[in-house]
Amino acid sequence: MQPNSRPAEHSEGPLSGYHVLDFADEKGQLCARLLGELGADVIKVEPRGGDRTRELGPFFRGSSDPEKSLWWWAMNAGKKSVTCELRLEAGRDLARRLAERTDIVVETFSPGQAKEFGLDYASLSSINPGIVVVSITSFGLTGPFKDWLATDIVGSAMGGHMHLNGEPDRGPVRSLAPQAYAQVNTQAAVGGLVALYARGVNGGQGQHVDISMQEAVTQAMDNAQATWDIRGINLSGPGVRRNAGGVPGLRYIFEAEDGWVACLAVGGLFGPTANTIIDWLAESGEAGDLVAPEWRERLSVMQPPTDEERAYLEETLAAFCRSRKKLELVAEAQRRGAGWAPIFSPHEIVESAHLSDREYWVRVVHDDLGESFIYPGAPFLYSETPWKQRGRAPHIGEDNTAVYGELGLTEAELRRLKTRMVV
Amino acid sequence: MADSSKVFSGLRVADFAWVGVGPLTSKYLADHGAEVIRVESNTYPEALRRAPPFVDDEPGVDRSGYYANFNSSKLGASLNLKHPRGIELARRLVAECDVVTESFTPGTMARLGISYEELREVRPDLVMISMPLFGQTGPWSGYAGFGHVLQGAAGYNHVTGWPDGPPIGTGIAYTDFLVPHIGAIALISALDYRRRTGKGQYIDFSQLEAAVHGLGTTILDWTVNGHEQLRDGNRDLNAAPHGCYECRDGKWIVIGCETEEHWNSLKAAMGRPEWADLERMRRRHQRLEEQKEIDWHLEHWIEAITRDSLEPEWFKGENPEAAPERRYTSLELVRHLQGFGVPAGVVQSSEDLRSDAQLAHRDHYWILQHAVMGERCYDGPAFRLSKTPGELTKAAPCLGEDNEYVFREVVGLSEEEFIELLGDGAFE
Repeated sequence: MQPNSRPAEHSEGPLSGYHVLDFADEKGQLCARLLGELGADVIKVEPRGGDRTRELGPFFRGSSDPEKSLWWWAMNAGKKSVTCELRLEAGRDLARRLAERTDIVVETFSPGQAKEFGLDYASLSSINPGIVVVSITSFGLTGPFKDWLATDIVGSAMGGHMHLNGEPDRGPVRSLAPQAYAQVNTQAAVGGLVALYARGVNGGQGQHVDISMQEAVTQAMDNAQATWDIRGINLSGPGVRRNAGGVPGLRYIFEAEDGWVACLAVGGLFGPTANTIIDWLAESGEAGDLVAPEWRERLSVMQPPTDEERAYLEETLAAFCRSRKKLELVAEAQRRGAGWAPIFSPHEIVESAHLSDREYWVRVVHDDLGESFIYPGAPFLYSETPWKQRGRAPHIGEDNTAVYGELGLTEAELRRLKTRMVV
Repeated sequence: MADSSKVFSGLRVADFAWVGVGPLTSKYLADHGAEVIRVESNTYPEALRRAPPFVDDEPGVDRSGYYANFNSSKLGASLNLKHPRGIELARRLVAECDVVTESFTPGTMARLGISYEELREVRPDLVMISMPLFGQTGPWSGYAGFGHVLQGAAGYNHVTGWPDGPPIGTGIAYTDFLVPHIGAIALISALDYRRRTGKGQYIDFSQLEAAVHGLGTTILDWTVNGHEQLRDGNRDLNAAPHGCYECRDGKWIVIGCETEEHWNSLKAAMGRPEWADLERMRRRHQRLEEQKEIDWHLEHWIEAITRDSLEPEWFKGENPEAAPERRYTSLELVRHLQGFGVPAGVVQSSEDLRSDAQLAHRDHYWILQHAVMGERCYDGPAFRLSKTPGELTKAAPCLGEDNEYVFREVVGLSEEEFIELLGDGAFE
């Protein structure tokens, strides 16, 4: 659409009226989904047999049906799907016709592949000067590692994030929920939106956005980059402790009677809340020696404890937490001004009273299964242009007729493409 | 002061937020040409100005690398909102701004008299984003905390660590480094809508609610299957082998074989050992069951084939009974694996990243001159726009460094008024 044309009257999100074409795998599907939930019309392009990521588990009740991958459901909810065989020239022609009316392409082709397909920025911008092409690769479109292969764990390692995660005696660890993918998807969306906004100030010209998963992960290094730059110290996995500017941090994870709690610097026993927390422990006679004025003074002025003192602090708080329930601990700590939080498992997040009160969750109907399921809801609440979940993930080629019909393909043409194994 | 050739030139942002999420969100705007004014206070300095690392290990509000790296390309103003004229000055500043960001405890802005409703009166097309941990409403809306504990509530600790150990999480204030991208998505989309319609709006942004979107399939596996995913070391739900292995040079490498092609490449890179050709290693779903054995073999192979960077390359050559070849450093082994088409990488430290050839090729790091801190290293954005690339125009501001510009030129105070207010502590 023209950069300054107005969104639809019945506004369905700030990006309503825009069209997104999604040629992405794990590195870009969430990016396109987020744009769709803000109102853009998103078309996922799959090969005839279905996208490779449909093979990713877990699956709906143990099935291995490509329509029942939960990865597919989670990352492609609300999109339309067309099939289009890019290995055939006719398929590439069809993809270019789709791109003619597209505002943002999100693609994860390996470097050079888009050009072979005639779907690179240079080719697409010659038929649609306003197009924004977001190219998401593992390491970047150019450079010494451009042809290296990366899955989530490789991105997490090469971008440095894994170096900060883990335990001193067990080495680095990755999150089971893939974070290199989460990082690059969300940052690719930012890059695409900056380019989209730029169209309004540079005469409607689109541009090419080149984003690297490795580089996206470097943004998740907390203060580690600055700590190396300034102090020449490498942060590494601290286990249940914190990384604190290269100084071994205090323990922040403690076991409660029914799970775990996260509480900065031994529950706030160290720092400005020290006296308050000592008082809390003292009320049930569990503060031990900490009630002594010397302890109170030392802890509140943040004089770093010795190893022996640290052990005593941690033992005292661990004993206090172990006999109490996590939500009670958190509520009382918060009442006293200390920023504790529970460590939640997936079902506890879904059952959280706070999120229910904010009506966070949405129910997505899977008409094909005759069921509906709870999905995460609005990541933020707009006053004017609400975020909206737009339905389940599509079946393979579910929208071929509608989308190709809008392109002006007749039923006969579509049939011909089918026999030629293009769609 | 803004450069008119940039994407966001002409946009002015009053950034009342602090710590990680707000400043990293507005950094995207600043690095692409917006005039972002950090509105801070000397009476209650921003927490990161008080957090290490400090230059020369000497604490000081203008010496923190933690603060500096998140605040490139921004201006620094200081304003005491508790001063009798503090709120009036804040309102006058917002009247000249397009965007307000803030992360106070919900209700604080309203109590001060600078809620969205009030600010909209002085700036009708204002886009304002409030981004505390838990949002503006709900039983936890008043809860305090930082990204370190929010990652716990958001599920990241539960899925990070070893299954027989505590939920250690990512070792950093993780949500602070995921949520800002989603904050920028919210803000730039709203700005684009404003560009097309002239309408501003308010964004109630909950860090928790944004962070839940980064959990992969964790939530759906529970709501659909009633299955709770649990931290599982370096294993993966779909890929095998998949792990992290120590090399003789003390570094760790990762290998993740998602496809049969990756696995065949790994077998070739290892010289087709017999164990890898066993029938029960043939398909991905089979290998997912055999990971313990596969990891045992991989650990031994990597132990045998790697060397300390100071050790010479060692080939068994003429003596077939000798120990295996210690041929590769960790990086060399990764090159060898990648050469065969195996997804592999080194677990890079901050030091490794600074000398990483690929990041250098992409000019990821920017060296900027800071008035107090000298030449320091800053992270640039991960994306390159072909026509309007991001640019880190300056180092982070010192506290209140741009007060004269902000309060005289933007707000419009006379010189006399400015000096009087300065003497009266309004900018403390």
